[in-house]
Order: sequence, then structure tokens, then C-alpha cells
Amino acid sequence: MLQGARGQGIVVRGNRRWALGLSAAGLIATIVLTPSYAGAGRVDDDLPDGEGKRILLASCTSCHELTEVTKFRGYYNRNQWRDIVVTMMEYGAPIDEKQVDVLADYLAAHLGKH
Amino acid sequence: MIRQFRCFLLLAIIVCGASSATAQVRIVQTNSGGDNIHLIDPSTHAIVGEVTGVPINHGAAAAPDGSRLYFSSEGEQTLHVVDGKTLKSVKSIPLSGRPNNISISPDGRRVYVGIVSSPGAVDVIDTASMEKVKSIPTKGGIHNVYVTPDGKYVIAGSIAGRLMTVIDQKTDETAWTLFTEGVRPIAIETNPDRSSKRLFVQLSNVHGFAVVDFQQRKEVSRVMLPNDIPEEKVDKGPFNGSPSHGIGVAPDGKTLWVTSRPNARVYVYSLPDLTLLPGPVDLGGRPDWVTFTPDSKLVYIATENTDSVIAIDVTSRKQVAKVKVGKAPKRNITMVMK
Repeated sequence: MLQGARGQGIVVRGNRRWALGLSAAGLIATIVLTPSYAGAGRVDDDLPDGEGKRILLASCTSCHELTEVTKFRGYYNRNQWRDIVVTMMEYGAPIDEKQVDVLADYLAAHLGKH
Repeated sequence: MIRQFRCFLLLAIIVCGASSATAQVRIVQTNSGGDNIHLIDPSTHAIVGEVTGVPINHGAAAAPDGSRLYFSSEGEQTLHVVDGKTLKSVKSIPLSGRPNNISISPDGRRVYVGIVSSPGAVDVIDTASMEKVKSIPTKGGIHNVYVTPDGKYVIAGSIAGRLMTVIDQKTDETAWTLFTEGVRPIAIETNPDRSSKRLFVQLSNVHGFAVVDFQQRKEVSRVMLPNDIPEEKVDKGPFNGSPSHGIGVAPDGKTLWVTSRPNARVYVYSLPDLTLLPGPVDLGGRPDWVTFTPDSKLVYIATENTDSVIAIDVTSRKQVAKVKVGKAPKRNITMVMK
């Protein structure tokens, strides 16, 4: 899938690990070494649990830091969030049709324009 | 005779001095995680200006004379028109959807805005009326858009559509298309008459770039970046699906600069032969975009996860400055104020 880079496959696997929770040592090392991960960790904690969060972590963080999603907090209504989810599906994000509305609802509820 | 020569020399110095004094160069650095944009003076590497009020800014363009700046806002789904001197917003133009990158025609009359929302489009802004005058439909949302240096074509890259669309600037119709992969940043190599010679195209999940012969309208080769750092130092991402994001031809046309996110480096190739030059430059973070000073002496590379821009001397390929900017800096451009 990833052409030319030595980290083929690791990119996805590494981030699923992150989504599922890193080990304590790994978490500390990550926070110290990369400031953006620290930001993502804090934002992650802000988001309530639920099916939408599970899809968000499983499908979005394989390609993006969570901050790439949460930076839009407060700007988009549900239709606009849905458009982003559909766009990401077209990019190749592992989201099935049934999950689109669940994720759009979740994003609109917790990061949407109110 | 000697006196005449001295007079000529003095006059030449005065003219050159006046010319350089009136043309100011600024590096314009967007900050994709915030609502501000920084202007950097490349003679000092200091931040000398700031534009505010452009939430989740993405693309940037400058009028050829530096009188205006244009920024797309993903947050507001608008194009902001900013006065080049006061750095205050003049107008916010509604767009047909969520924008990504933008480009301006060489005559400054049109700004093209890539619309990433489905089904995709390139919005056309008339800079005289400051109105959206057209929305050119595309196959797939548009991520980056470029006007060729001769002004004849608009090149639109789609990640979702896995397509590069070359639009005739006179008719706004598609001239030709290429690729079946997500299209990321593009650099354009020109002929002496400014017509397009080759495109260097970064693609989704490719740690390198494709070489496109513009006249033949086809990919002629693909160059992979080296895996030249220890495994334990390789950044595992995520890279937004784009391990190599940020590419540029120096204005003098002598070198091509290509960034690597896993290696946190920029690699330099000589042109036209595409020979990898020794001494890649370590960037200390994930690169996103490159821009050069007009004299080809400096290149500025935004590293999004360090909130910084790295200034590199083109000749020596050494870092000369690290400028702290705003949150998640990505696209940058060079502005010349005449």
C-alpha cells in the first residue's frame, strides 16, 4: 500500500495500537518526543465514549492525528461533518456505509456547530 | 571615458538599489490549526507581520504586485481577501464547499480554489469584482490547484477522484487527465518560454514522486526517496496518507526539493537530470510544504508537528534558521511586494 517507504504497513498498525492504548512507557516516550501526540491525547480524553468514538479512533487515526479532526470543533453542522466523513471514505478510510451516519452524528454532537 | 564609465556605474547602482529597496520579499506561512498566518522577512528570518481571523486556513496566494493576499478558510468555507499592506481583511467570499489549496493566475485576475467537498470543483474568483464567477466541476474533491507559470492551464489534483485534471484556462474545460492514484502536491518545471515542461507529482502513499512529461501528457518515470536513516529513527506517522508531501522547483530551475515525512528530511535533485545530490537536510519534524525566495538562495519548509518553519541555504544545503510560527503550519508561499 505504501510505496517506497520502509515503514510499509507499520504506519497503519502503529496507529491502531495508539488508538487502542499505548503502553505506559510508550505513552510517556511519545508525549516527550512528539508534542502533537500530546495534543491528540488530551483531545482524545475530551471526547465521550460511544460507537462514534470507536469508529473515529479505528478509522480516522490510521491516517491522521486526532487534532486533524478536532481542529474543526465548532465550525461544522451535521451535513458538513457527514460530507467530511464521505470524503474520507472516498480517500480510502475504512468506514462502511452503516458507520457513516453514526460517525457523522457523533462528530456533530461533540465537535459540531451549536 | 573613465568618468563616463563611473557615472554609468553609479547610475546602475542607484537603479539597482532603488529596485531592491522597493521590492520586499515575504514568506507567508499559514497555520492550519489556528486562525492566523505569519509573514516572515527572509533577510532576518523574523516574523514581521500577522494576518488574523482566517479560521483553519489552508491555501495562500499573493497578487503579483503584493497588493493583496488570498487565503482559503476551511472553517468558514470562504476565501479571505487581505490587503497586502495593512494585512486587514477586505472581503470574505463564500465558496461552493469546503476549500483546500488555492492558486492565482500570473496576471492576478483570477484565483482558483480547490473545493474538496463531494463531488468536487474548482471555484473561480474574479479578483476585480471579488466575486465567485464560476465553479468548474471536477471528478472528485480537489486538494491542490496550480496555475501553470505561463497562465495557460489550471492543474487540479484529487485524492478522492484519484485523478489529476488539467484545465484549459481560456475555456475552463478539461484538456487532459492522468493517474489512478490520489494526487498530492505538484511542482512544475518550465521551458525557457515559461511553458510547462515536466510535472513532479506526489501521490497518496508513495514515498517519492512521479515525473510527467507535459507535452506527452503521460508519466515517464517514478522516483523513490531513499531509505537512508536508521530504522529506529523513522517516524511511523500518521502522515495523512502522504509520506512525501511538499515539493518545489527552485526559481532558477536548477534543483528540485522533495520532502519525506518518515525520514523528516528534504532531498535535493539536480535538474534537468534528476540526480540526487549529497547532503539531505534534516528537518526535525514532519514537512508539509516548501517555498523559495525569488533569488533561489533560500528555501522555507513548514514542519507541521513542530509548529516551525525551517530556512535552508539552497547552495550549501544547510539549515540557517528555525522560525517558530503558529499551530500546525502547512502551506506557504513567497510574496513580493512591489
